[in-house]
Amino acid sequence: MTTIIQPRLTQLFRFVRCSYADGVAELAYAFDDGEELVERVRFPNAPAVPAGHVAAFDAALKLLHLIAGVSYYKAGVPPKIEVASGPLDDATAELLDQLYLHGLAEFAYRNGLDLRGRIAFPRGGVAPTVGTLNLPKRTLVPIGGGKDSLVAVEAIKAIGGEATAVWVGNSALIAACAERTGLPTLNIQRELAPALFELNRLGAWNGHIPVTAVNSVILAVAAVLYGYDSIAFANERSASAATLEYDGQQVNHQWSKGYAFEQLLGNWLATHVASDLDYFSLLRPYSELAITRAFSKLTPYFDVFSSCNRNFKLLGPKPADRWCGQCPKCHFVFLALAPFLPKPRLLSIFGRNLLDDETQAAGFDALLEYQDHKPFECVGEGAEARAAMHALSQRPEWQEDALVARFRSEILPQLDASLLALEPWLEPSSEQRVPARLQPALKTIG
Amino acid sequence: MNPPSLAPLSEDAPWIVMKFGGTSVATLPRWQNILELVASRRAEGARVVVVVSALSGITDALKQLCRHGDRGLRVESAKLIVQRHYELLEHMQLSLPDTLSDRLGDLARLADEGATTLGELAWQAQVQAHGELMSSALGAAFLSHSGLPTHWLDARECLAAVALPNQNERTRLLSAMVEARPDPALGARLAALGDVFITQGFIARESRGRTVLLGRGGSDTSAAYFGALLKAQRVEIWTDVAGMFTANPHQVPGARLLQRLDYEEAQEIASTGAKVLHPRCLSPLREPRVPLLIKDTNRPELDGTVIGPEIRAHAPSVKAISARKGITLVSMESVGMWQQVGFLADVFTHFKQHGLSVDLIGSAETNVTVSLDPTENLLDSDAIAALATDLAKVCRVKVIAPCAAITLVGRGMRSLLHTLSGVLAEFGQLRVHMISQSSNNLNLTFVVDEEVVDALLPHLHDLLIAAGALRTDDSALFGPSWQTLYGTGEAPGAVAAWWREVEERQRLLELAAETTPRYVYHLPTVRQQARALKSLAAVDRLHYAVKANTHPAILRVLAAEGFAFECVSPGELEAVSAIVPEATPLLFTPNFAPREDYVYALGTRATITLDALHPLQHWGELFRGRDIVLRMDLGRGLGHHEKVRTGGSGSKFGLPLDQLAAFLQLADAHGATVRGLHAHLGSGVLDASHWGEVYVQLASLAERIGSVAFLNIGGGLGVPSHPGEAPLDMVELDRVLREVKAAYPQYQLWMEPGRYLVADAGVLLACATQQKDKGAFRYLGVDTGMNSLIRPALYDAWHEIVNLSRLDEPSTALYQVVGPICESGDVLGTDRRLPEAQEGDVMLIAQTGAYGKVMSSHYNLRDEADEIVIE
Repeated sequence: MTTIIQPRLTQLFRFVRCSYADGVAELAYAFDDGEELVERVRFPNAPAVPAGHVAAFDAALKLLHLIAGVSYYKAGVPPKIEVASGPLDDATAELLDQLYLHGLAEFAYRNGLDLRGRIAFPRGGVAPTVGTLNLPKRTLVPIGGGKDSLVAVEAIKAIGGEATAVWVGNSALIAACAERTGLPTLNIQRELAPALFELNRLGAWNGHIPVTAVNSVILAVAAVLYGYDSIAFANERSASAATLEYDGQQVNHQWSKGYAFEQLLGNWLATHVASDLDYFSLLRPYSELAITRAFSKLTPYFDVFSSCNRNFKLLGPKPADRWCGQCPKCHFVFLALAPFLPKPRLLSIFGRNLLDDETQAAGFDALLEYQDHKPFECVGEGAEARAAMHALSQRPEWQEDALVARFRSEILPQLDASLLALEPWLEPSSEQRVPARLQPALKTIG
Repeated sequence: MNPPSLAPLSEDAPWIVMKFGGTSVATLPRWQNILELVASRRAEGARVVVVVSALSGITDALKQLCRHGDRGLRVESAKLIVQRHYELLEHMQLSLPDTLSDRLGDLARLADEGATTLGELAWQAQVQAHGELMSSALGAAFLSHSGLPTHWLDARECLAAVALPNQNERTRLLSAMVEARPDPALGARLAALGDVFITQGFIARESRGRTVLLGRGGSDTSAAYFGALLKAQRVEIWTDVAGMFTANPHQVPGARLLQRLDYEEAQEIASTGAKVLHPRCLSPLREPRVPLLIKDTNRPELDGTVIGPEIRAHAPSVKAISARKGITLVSMESVGMWQQVGFLADVFTHFKQHGLSVDLIGSAETNVTVSLDPTENLLDSDAIAALATDLAKVCRVKVIAPCAAITLVGRGMRSLLHTLSGVLAEFGQLRVHMISQSSNNLNLTFVVDEEVVDALLPHLHDLLIAAGALRTDDSALFGPSWQTLYGTGEAPGAVAAWWREVEERQRLLELAAETTPRYVYHLPTVRQQARALKSLAAVDRLHYAVKANTHPAILRVLAAEGFAFECVSPGELEAVSAIVPEATPLLFTPNFAPREDYVYALGTRATITLDALHPLQHWGELFRGRDIVLRMDLGRGLGHHEKVRTGGSGSKFGLPLDQLAAFLQLADAHGATVRGLHAHLGSGVLDASHWGEVYVQLASLAERIGSVAFLNIGGGLGVPSHPGEAPLDMVELDRVLREVKAAYPQYQLWMEPGRYLVADAGVLLACATQQKDKGAFRYLGVDTGMNSLIRPALYDAWHEIVNLSRLDEPSTALYQVVGPICESGDVLGTDRRLPEAQEGDVMLIAQTGAYGKVMSSHYNLRDEADEIVIE
C-alpha cells in the first residue's frame, strides 16, 4: 500500500469502475485518493453474453458494482459518494440510498453511528427503457444450507419446475445440501478485495452488511448470463420485522431479506434489466413456523442441513459439526421444529437437547423477547417463538425439560394466553410477488 | 483346483460348521477361497456343513420385490435377481444345475402370483428365503464341480421353528426361533450321505410346514443351530474382519483383537455394540459347549477370536468398551408409588402399548428411569409423545435424549472397580444420567449425553489400558491392534526410540555408570521434532514453551532452528534472554502474575498476553500505547488429565467469552491495541482437528475486533506414550491448518508447543537398588522417584520403563517400579513386565525430556538428578 490511510477519517467513497470478461466481473472502489479496492466475482463456465442481452447484462453488472460497494463503503462511511460513470437515474439512486441506510442500520447501531442524511447517491441520470428478453422458463434457487431454501427447492420440484441450486462462495455445507437436492448446481465465487483486510487492520469500521442484497444482484447478473427467468429466494414473512428501534430508526438485521427490499429490487430489475425477469421470495407469505412445519416432512435433509452460522466445522456427519447449539439460529430452529417432529428425531438432528440446558436460558429468553430484545440474527418473531414454546409446554414429553419447565413457571403466567396459539402462524398471508408460473409451488408449502 | 482324494471318514468323524456371508459368496474368487477353506477342513478329518447367506444385495432386492404391488414390477425385479445368479454361473463356467433351475423357476412364479394364495407374510418369507436357497444351490454346483463333492441340504428339513408366547404372525414368520439341541440321528443320517454339505442361513420351517425367516443376524444364527444340532467340533464364522475387538475400530483405531472370550462376555460385547456377531447366535452353542471361531476370509492366517466355555485362570480384565448411540431415557418421578402392588406393572404396560421396548432400568425410592433403543417407531412416530401423555397421568415424566450407553464388559467387573478410578474420574466431568451394573457381573454401563461419546471413547480406551484395567499386556487374551492389522500398519511415528539403538544404549550405560539419577537429552531428537513442526506450512511463527525444559543447550538448539520463545515468568524471560539472540521474538503468557511481573516484562521486547480483566481495570495505564494479546477461554478443556486441561470454567486460565466486550472496552479506554488472540485448551491432544477448531473459533472472535493480526492457537500437541498408540498425524494437522487458514487468510497463525519438542529427547537414568515381595506384588526400587519425575504421581502419566542393562532378556517379572521417597504415591510405573532385575541394573524411564527436571524438587532433601546433553 503506497499511502497509509485512516479509514475512519476518509471523506469520499468512489465507485471507480466495473468490467466483465471471461466469466469474471471486476468491481473497483476507492476512498479519497487511496489505492483501488478490487473485488472479483467469478461465474463458472460462463457462456458469452448473448448479443441481445448486452444492455441488460451491463445494467445488472452496474447495479452489482453499486450494491457490492456496501462492503467497502462501510469501512470508512465517508460523507460523500461519487460514481465515476456519472449520476444515476432517480429509481436507481433511491434503491441504493434505501439499501445503504437500512441495510447498514445494524452496523450503525453497533458502532454508534447515525447514517441518516449521510448517504446520498448522485442523481440526475436518465432511466433506460427495457423490454422482454424471452428468458428460459427456469429458476435460480439460492441455497443457504438452512431449511428455508430447501423448502423452496422441494416446492418447485413438487410442481415439476425446472431449477438450478445456486450459491455464492465456498461452503462445504451448502455444497452438500445442494447435492442432496438432486438439482443441477451453480457455484459462483466472490473474492473480496484483499486490501479490505488491510483497512480493517488500520481501524476500519466493521459490522453487518446486507449480504443478501449483494447475493441477489449477483444472481440477477447470473440470470441474464446463463438464461433464467426467475430468482426464487426463500425469505420468510418475519424477515420484514425490525429487530429493534434505536433513536427513532428501525433496525432490522435482515432488512435485505425483507419485503421492502424485495419490492425495490424486483421492480428495479423489471424496469432496468428485463421485464420478464422475476425476483421474489417463494416463502414470503409464510411464517417461520409454517416453514419449519413444511421442512419437518423433508427427512432426507435432516443429516445435511444446518441453519447455524457459528458452526465451526461447517460440515460433517456428527450433529455437533453442523450445530453449535449456542447461537440464536440454533435456538430458534430447534424451538420451531420441536412442535412438528417426534422429540427423539429432533434431538438426533441436533445431537443434544438445547431446551434441557439451563445455561441456554438467556438465549431462549432473547428469542421469546423476554427480558431482552430480539437478537441480531435471522430468526423468527418473538411471538412465534412464544407460540412454539407454549405448544411444547403443553406436551408431557417436553414439559419437564429445564427451560420448558422454567417457561411454564416463570414466563407463561406473564403472557396473554389468547396470543399463544400455534395455528394462526400456519396460515399464509397475502403478501407475495411470486409470478403466475410458480404460484402452484407456493401452495404446496402451506 | 482338485483336492487330492482323501481317506473316507468314519461315521463319528467330527463336524465343523462354516458360515460365509453375502460378500463372501458374491464372486468367483471368493468362492475359490471358500473351496480352499472347506477342503482344508475336510482334509483335517472333519465333515463340513457350509452355511451361506444370499449374494450381497439380493436380500434387499427381494425385500424390494415384496414391496411392489404391481405384478409387472415384481416380475421385472425377479428377472434382475435371476440375472445376477446367471452372471455368477457364467463366471464359474458352469451350466445351470437343476437345484438352482428349480429355485429360479419358483422365484419367478412367486413374483408372478403375488401374496394372494400364501398370505402376505408367508409369501414374503417364501420370497426372501430364495436368496439363500439360490446361493447355496449355486455353491453346491461350484464346489462339486471343483472336485469337492458337496450335498445341497435344505435347511428347512433340519431347523424346526418353535412357537413362543408373545409371538404374532409377523414375528412367527419373519423372526422365528429354533430350539437346537444335539441330534445324533441327524448327524448319522447326514454322515451316511457324504462328507461336505452346503445349506442356507436365515431360513427354517414352522410346525405347519411354512418357510420362516430367522430375522436379523439370521445366517450366523443358522450356523449356531447347525453347530448345536451336530454338536460340532466348532462353528466358524467367516467374515471381513478377524474377530471381536476391545472397541469399535472405527471409533478407536488402537482397539485390540480379542483372541479369547467366553460365551457370556462375547454375548455381552455383541449386545452392546460389536457388529461382527449377532448376540443371539451364541446361546444355542452354550449348552452343548460348542466353540465359535470368528475368522477373516481375506486374512485366514490371523488367529481370530475364539469364543468358548473354557475360562482359564486370568487376572480379571476389562475386555471391551462399547457405545450405543441414539438412546432415549424416560425418567419417571413419583413419591411413594413405586412400592404399591401393580404400579410398576401398570407403568410398563404403557410402554408395551406404544410398542416401545425397555433396555436398561435404574431405580431409586422416588424415581424409575428406563432406556429405549433407537427404533423407527421411536424416531418417526408419535409413540414417545403418546407414552409421555399416558405416564404423565400417574407420575412426572421426563424424556432425556439423545444419550449414549457406554459399557465396559469383562468377567468379574466388580473386582475391577478399584482400578477404574481414573476412568470414573472422567465420567465425573460429564452428565451421567444412569449407571447400571448387572448381577451377572459382566458389565458396567454409563448413560451419558450422546455428544460426548466420539471424543470420549478412544480416550477411555487409553485410560483403561493406562489404568491396568484392560490388560493388553496379556498376550494370551489380547492380539494386535486394528490399526496394525487393517490400518496403514503400525502408526508412522512408532519408529523405535533413539535410545534403543545399540550404540546409544552403550553410551547411556556409560553415562549411568558415572552417576545416577541422571537426565540425558538427545539433541538430534529435539532438532527432528523442531523440523516436524516447521513442516506445518500454515504456521507463521512457532514458539517454544520453555516451561517444558529450560536447559540452555535445548534453548540454543531451538533458537538455531528459528523458534521464538514463550515464557510465563520473569525468571523464564531472564533465562531465555541470557541464551537466545537479541532479535528472537519473545512471548510472555503468564497466569495470575503479579503487577511487578508485567512491569518487568513490559521492559523487555516480549509481547504480553493478558487473560483477565484485572490488569486493565487496575493497572491499565501500564499498557497504554502497547500491543497486547488476549488469551480467551473458549469454554471447554481438553487433555489427557484433569490437571492439564486449561479451558472451561473449572480452569483458572483465559478470559471467559462473556467478558470479551468488557475487555475490549478497557483496552480501548487505556489505548492498548489487541493485536493477537490466544487460546490453549490443554495438553496431550492427539486429534489434529482440535487446532483447526481453535483457530476458527478465535478467527470468528477476531473478525469482530478489527485490530487483530495474529491468532495463537497454543500448543498441547500430544506425545503418545504407550507402545502402539498412534502419534499425532502431522500431515493431517498440516492439512487442517491450511484449510482453516485459507478460510481466514488475514490472520497470522502462531503456535507454542513445548512437550512435543523435548519429551522424546529426554530419558531419566536410574539405578535399581532393591526388591521387595508383598502379597502378589513385587516392588522394584530405583534410586530416584517423584522428586525427579512427578508426572506419574501428578497426572497418572505413563512412562515406558526398561531395564537398560537387560534390554534383550525376556520379560518374566511383573514389577511395581518405585522410588525412595516417603510417599505412597512415589510409584514410577505399575504392573510392568520386565526382566528379573538385579541391584545395580540401569533403569531407563523414557520420554522425560519435558516436565521432568523442571518440576523436580528437593523433597526428602534428596539430591536433584544430574542433567547432560548428547549429540
